[in-house]
Amino acid sequence: MPSDTKSDLLQGTLDLLILKVLTLGPNHGYGISQRLRQISKDVLQVQQGSLYPALHRLEKRGWLESAWRQAESGRQAKFYKLSAKGRKQLAHEEFTWQRIARAIYLVLQTVE
Amino acid sequence: MGLKFRKRKEALEQEFDRELRFHIDELTDKNIASGMSRNEAHRQAMAEFGAKERVAEQLREVHQIPVIESFGKNLNFALRLMVKSPLFSAAIILTLALGVGANSAVFSALDAVLLRPLPFPHPAELVMVRQYNSANQSPSPFVAPVAPVRLEDWNRMSSAFQAITGYYTENESETSGPVPEKLTEAFVAPRFLQVWGVAPELGRDFSPAEERFGGPSVVLISERFWRRRFNADVNVIGKSLHFGSPVAGHRSAAYTIIGVISSSFLFPNRDVDAWSPVPKDAPYAQSRENTWYTCFGRLKPGVQLEQAAADVARVQAELGREFPKTDADLSVTLVPAKEVIVGESRASLWILFGSVTLLLLLACTNIAALLLARMTDREHEISVRFSLGASRTTVMWQLLTEIFVLALFGSLAGLALAAGAAKLFRTFTPNLPRVERISLDWRIVCYSLVCALVVTFLCGLLPGLRGTRGRLALANDGRTQVSGKSPAQWILVGAQVALAVILLVGAGLLQRSLQELARVSPGFDPGHVLTLQISESYGETADMKALTERSKHILDAIRTIPGVEAAANLSSLPGLPGQSQTELKILEGEQDPNRKIFADSRFVSPGYFDVMRIPVLAGEPCQETTRPTVVVNRTFANTYFGETTAIRHHIARLQTSQFSLAGEIQGVAADSREQGLNTEPMPTVYWCSSVAFPGTYYALRTRVAPMTLADTVRRIVHSIEPNRSVFDIQPLTQRLSDSFAEDRLRTTLLSLFAVTAVSLACLGIYATLSYFVSMRRREVGLRLALGASRQNIALRFLLQGLRVSAIGCVAGLGLAAASVRVLSGMLYGVSRFDPATFGGVVALVLAIGCLATVLPAIRAARTPPMNVLREQ
Repeated sequence: MPSDTKSDLLQGTLDLLILKVLTLGPNHGYGISQRLRQISKDVLQVQQGSLYPALHRLEKRGWLESAWRQAESGRQAKFYKLSAKGRKQLAHEEFTWQRIARAIYLVLQTVE
Repeated sequence: MGLKFRKRKEALEQEFDRELRFHIDELTDKNIASGMSRNEAHRQAMAEFGAKERVAEQLREVHQIPVIESFGKNLNFALRLMVKSPLFSAAIILTLALGVGANSAVFSALDAVLLRPLPFPHPAELVMVRQYNSANQSPSPFVAPVAPVRLEDWNRMSSAFQAITGYYTENESETSGPVPEKLTEAFVAPRFLQVWGVAPELGRDFSPAEERFGGPSVVLISERFWRRRFNADVNVIGKSLHFGSPVAGHRSAAYTIIGVISSSFLFPNRDVDAWSPVPKDAPYAQSRENTWYTCFGRLKPGVQLEQAAADVARVQAELGREFPKTDADLSVTLVPAKEVIVGESRASLWILFGSVTLLLLLACTNIAALLLARMTDREHEISVRFSLGASRTTVMWQLLTEIFVLALFGSLAGLALAAGAAKLFRTFTPNLPRVERISLDWRIVCYSLVCALVVTFLCGLLPGLRGTRGRLALANDGRTQVSGKSPAQWILVGAQVALAVILLVGAGLLQRSLQELARVSPGFDPGHVLTLQISESYGETADMKALTERSKHILDAIRTIPGVEAAANLSSLPGLPGQSQTELKILEGEQDPNRKIFADSRFVSPGYFDVMRIPVLAGEPCQETTRPTVVVNRTFANTYFGETTAIRHHIARLQTSQFSLAGEIQGVAADSREQGLNTEPMPTVYWCSSVAFPGTYYALRTRVAPMTLADTVRRIVHSIEPNRSVFDIQPLTQRLSDSFAEDRLRTTLLSLFAVTAVSLACLGIYATLSYFVSMRRREVGLRLALGASRQNIALRFLLQGLRVSAIGCVAGLGLAAASVRVLSGMLYGVSRFDPATFGGVVALVLAIGCLATVLPAIRAARTPPMNVLREQ
């Protein structure tokens, strides 16, 4: 489907993206999804059906911490922030991702 | 916990909702900002967000507790699987129901009789205090009742006890009603209820005034008697009971009821209807030679049995110095009350429990083999699970859950079985101590559940480990290879055979023992003998002459009953284990002081040898004479007189109480097994005497069926002795048979277990070989096609089955030989390693092994080769 400009995320990459976005500071689910869209220039559109379970899973693993706070709009929102453990995990995943990306790039280069 | 869990869940739900709603609200705001109407903005936001409920559902999944959640899923799957293969499931559930049921049933008995503490406060402090004559070197030291004064000395001088008390029982006639009713009355020393730590349910304990000589006559009655006689009337306190002075013409004594004792208090035994105090200052209670009491004491808290034993030994040694004549030779031992009450049933119960546990183990092995076979069929399914990303642990849990569901159903069915068993125990072993406490309660339910868990792991671990081993089995082309898997299955089959052999040997030995016992010639003829008791009281012994007259009178009256051939009274029934080895001396000639003479002493009236049909070999049987005479048995004559004839020698009992006892030997009777059918005749002295004491039996040889005379005897006795009651009427054969009730039950149950075990093992061999044959159809077909003979094929399978049976058999025999030690005290006339039993078991097991293998082997031989080859 080359015409489709919106990519589905590869399994596992969503976690990496969430962690990365949260290095910018604590944010709520809505904020994270908006941020992702913004940064990826609308290429990456996260389904809420994947985003929220991912957030909860990461929190359960101890990579995120959460707290209810007032958002800019004045409503109460659940804010997530990186834990120390999450920071370590992010470093690890970034490294892995880059290695794989490089490998894929190499393959693509060679075969062409 | 469930509530907390639900609350946590509700809080989570609310949080999900708030979090997701925030997202939608923000989206809506954004849409409004881009110029949409509120409604449109909201609709758009909802559309973009997707189904909120589905997201919530996914969140829920993230938060579920993995074990419980997956257990639920597994459970669901297991139930579906169970329904899908109902026959297989039913077979397993049934096997387990039997295994767990039998196990729980025996455990319920074991628990009630052995494991639970006695129903008294601080039961560990209760001990029986026994005295025995340490100078008496007889093989069974005579455990004598204790003199009241000595009991008081012990109680006063010992520092280890809170209190020591004693009791004895008598059968009384209660004469308030139209006919005398026989009651069992316990006469108790002071401190009786205090030692047991119980209080009357209604009313009060004895007061000091009532425990003094000449004080008011009072009685505590049992709840049972209270309900029966007084219809549980709460105003019973103050009413009177009239205990008949059995002496005709004397006024009966009135006892005032001061309290009712709960029916859970079953002491001294479950028949006691009334308790009365014996004053310790009574003139007749002052002799150190009067012996009455069986004694129990309550230790001070924290005092150990050994300390207490050392303490009473010290006390008795002091008494020995103070009263050398009566107390020097006495020693005192302490036995925990529970030991005394549980007694010999301990070994029986443990053996039964061991047997049912073996049976359960066998059932598990059987099921494990079945599951192992089925694992092969499920190989495909399991590989699919693996390839879908399931871990080995997940698959293992799934398999164990399946088995657990089956085990649970099996255990529940087993519980129903165990519930019935409590009744069975009460019916068949009424003499089992504490039998009334056997019941199904939460302890048994828990036990069954634990059984189900253990069974799950026993049955499931091996098949589970094996089944999940070949993760890459999917690569198989569907033509299953079994050669590598058979050893485990065959080991399981061998184990089943071995377990069955152990049980068979045990049951076989007990059966042979009973057979031997039935073959024993007792030396007396118990057929057509009616036995009964007539209420007496120790008080009557005050006038021995009158008592002798009365006893003779009663006997004469009974002898006149038509259908009665002969009648006698006797101190203890023949063929039933009793006490009483006494030391004797021969009055004539020089006595070798080192040669002790012991004999079983029995008091029998004239007519005894006719009633029991014991031949008198020389001299005369007991007759009505005024001089004291005795008859001895042949063993006594041969042992102590040898060549010289025993007749006209005089023997006397060594002085152990104030009653001297001596007599001239007047006859020699043939040996008979007076002390029990399983006991060789021992030297026995029959003292000829018609005097009836409490506990004396009357025995009648009848021409008709014994029980048909029961009413006539009752009437005749009532006509001449209206204040006495006739009770405990039974044919002698019944009593002899009852004395082996426990042996018989033990044997029957063990045999039942053994038969079940053999059937299970047989089924195990059959199923495994059948499975094996079906797995190797292709190979067999190939062999046949290549020219192998059918006999050859059949023989190969037959030998395989037999080899496993034989190996199992040998292993089982080894284990059995190592474990029959536990039966040693219960065997009569057979050795523990009885070759006939062991040989018989081997023959039986091999025959059954043959039977189980022959069908599958023939089926293998009948394989149509072409069909099979075409199949694959």
